[in-house]
Amino acid sequence: MGTGFPSIMKTAIAVANMEWRLEWRQGHQLASVGLFAVASVYVAFQAADRETAAGAWTAMLWLVYLFSGFTAVGRLFDRERSATRQYLQWAIHPMGLILGKLTHAILTTTALTALVLAAFVLFLGWPSGLETASKPGLLILSAWLGGFSMTTTLVFVTAMASQIQSGNGALGAVLGLPLLLPQLILVTRLTRGALDGTPWGMLGELPLFLAALSAGTSVIACILFPYIWRA
Amino acid sequence: MKMSLLLHLFSSSMEGFFFGSGKAHVVTGVALVILAGLALSLWRMDRRLSKMEDDLNAPQS
Amino acid sequence: MNHWNRLWKFGSLLLLAYVILRGFSTPLQPGLVEAEPNSLSAGTQDISFVAVGQPFLRPGEGMEAFELILKSGTALLKTELTSVEAHRVSATIEVPTTLPSPALDAYLFTPSAGTLFLGNAFFVEDAEKGPLPSHLTASIPQESEPHLGFSFPYQPNIMESIRNLLWHVPMWFAMFFVMGIGFVASLAQLRTGNVNWDHRAEAAVRTGLVFGILGLITGSLWARWTWGAWWVSDPQLNGALVTVLLYSGYMILRAAMGDDDRVGRLSAVYNVFAFVMLVILLMVLPRYTESLHPGKDGNPGFNSYDLDNSLRAVFYPAVIGWGALCYWIYTLRLRMNRIEYRLLTQ
Repeated sequence: MGTGFPSIMKTAIAVANMEWRLEWRQGHQLASVGLFAVASVYVAFQAADRETAAGAWTAMLWLVYLFSGFTAVGRLFDRERSATRQYLQWAIHPMGLILGKLTHAILTTTALTALVLAAFVLFLGWPSGLETASKPGLLILSAWLGGFSMTTTLVFVTAMASQIQSGNGALGAVLGLPLLLPQLILVTRLTRGALDGTPWGMLGELPLFLAALSAGTSVIACILFPYIWRA
Repeated sequence: MKMSLLLHLFSSSMEGFFFGSGKAHVVTGVALVILAGLALSLWRMDRRLSKMEDDLNAPQS
Repeated sequence: MNHWNRLWKFGSLLLLAYVILRGFSTPLQPGLVEAEPNSLSAGTQDISFVAVGQPFLRPGEGMEAFELILKSGTALLKTELTSVEAHRVSATIEVPTTLPSPALDAYLFTPSAGTLFLGNAFFVEDAEKGPLPSHLTASIPQESEPHLGFSFPYQPNIMESIRNLLWHVPMWFAMFFVMGIGFVASLAQLRTGNVNWDHRAEAAVRTGLVFGILGLITGSLWARWTWGAWWVSDPQLNGALVTVLLYSGYMILRAAMGDDDRVGRLSAVYNVFAFVMLVILLMVLPRYTESLHPGKDGNPGFNSYDLDNSLRAVFYPAVIGWGALCYWIYTLRLRMNRIEYRLLTQ
């Protein structure tokens, strides 16, 4: 079990690969999250029809993301509970493990954000009256950035929650939501700005803050992860 | 001595709205009462903990 | 409780009693609050100002010692004082038809309170832009040194609620202080695994949480008084709320784990995470954003209040008093944790 950087990277790629293949084989898990997401969007559509203001659109978008995200990431460490897996943990460098899981989670949520965004535009259309003002590119960027920052925090929290034998699934969400609040505040402001065409000058620092915050939390999460994971 | 000090604090010739209405006295009084209550409970807890620690340190036969 | 302990504990209580007594009894320096009527038209008008704090007139002073000047752009407009009462100043002015600027600032020169200022006191309707007629131009009077005795500074909007400075700010300082203790304890816990550090961390977070919640409550009350709302979406406030939520999460995490052996380690990891977030949210982020909350571009505290010496004389004891009280509560909780542990492992 080498501890150098190249071996960590190799471990990470191996873990990510394994996760992806398992996911693909047990396709129903990915599909169930996708279904949950689309169904939520449909509920939103039923509630709001096609006449939605930018603020309500943003709110619903991020609430759907939040809950789909919790569902998708929440199961990330479930497989690690079995005895076989616990043995495997001794053989893998924890940093590689978390990086692999993180990569896999980011790929999943990227797919999820694309799906949710597409569903939103399909069902709810664009917020009323803003078809020309909105910046679709910025919208996609903010959705992805938000998903990315959400994922890094949630992976960390889920890892922690999975260590708690007696815990229920909701603990990850309970701990995760306060940690997510700063990022959510920033990203909802950015999304809303993208939708109603706020000039770049007022929004410019938000993606920077968001990226910095996510980078910061992922770094701390990766540093602290080995302490959680020591069996 | 203490009373005259208190009176001096409250009845300076420079009075604003706060004192004309007498509210200042009520607020100060309430705050002091709360502080006293807090102090009392903290002090009691402190004594009780000290006693417990002494009991644990010098075990009874 | 040995003598030294008794000293600082009792001392903190005395300090707080002093802070309460002095904090509430000290009068406010006078300040102009409102001008009536707000909009003026050309011609002779009666105006008046309402004030709070110490009265304008001290015993032995007469109206002649006061002077009221209105400023339009850079030109000074004369006024004729008609009466000076305890908290109201009235005057008549002649508003010209041409002015450098339609917004008028007011400067009241007083013999003992120095110069009082009210920005944008009046707006002149239908004023044409032009120079001030010379017969209405005033010259700047001699400014006098204020000698007000022990009194708190007047700040517009805040007025009497400046006394909250003795509660709200020290409580947040205390929270930072004790969360710092918790942070160090959690780091040590991760490094050594000694359960003693875990006791310290739990006691610290628990105490810090109490003070954080009190800080939020005092802040909310202050916001209601000065900004008109119990809460606003503002970087500093959001950061404070998230911090309190984070540390509540710590308590929930510990509760969920119950008697699990790894409580110490996992909660230490979470605590380290939470403290780093606290530093980022409350010390780094606010320096780069605009906010209603005082103290931006530099210290996320309260420099904008211009603490004067009277306020300092009560504020510093308040910080020390609340800090010591917080530390006392922390030690009580720590001792409780230790005793509980000893009883459980006997």
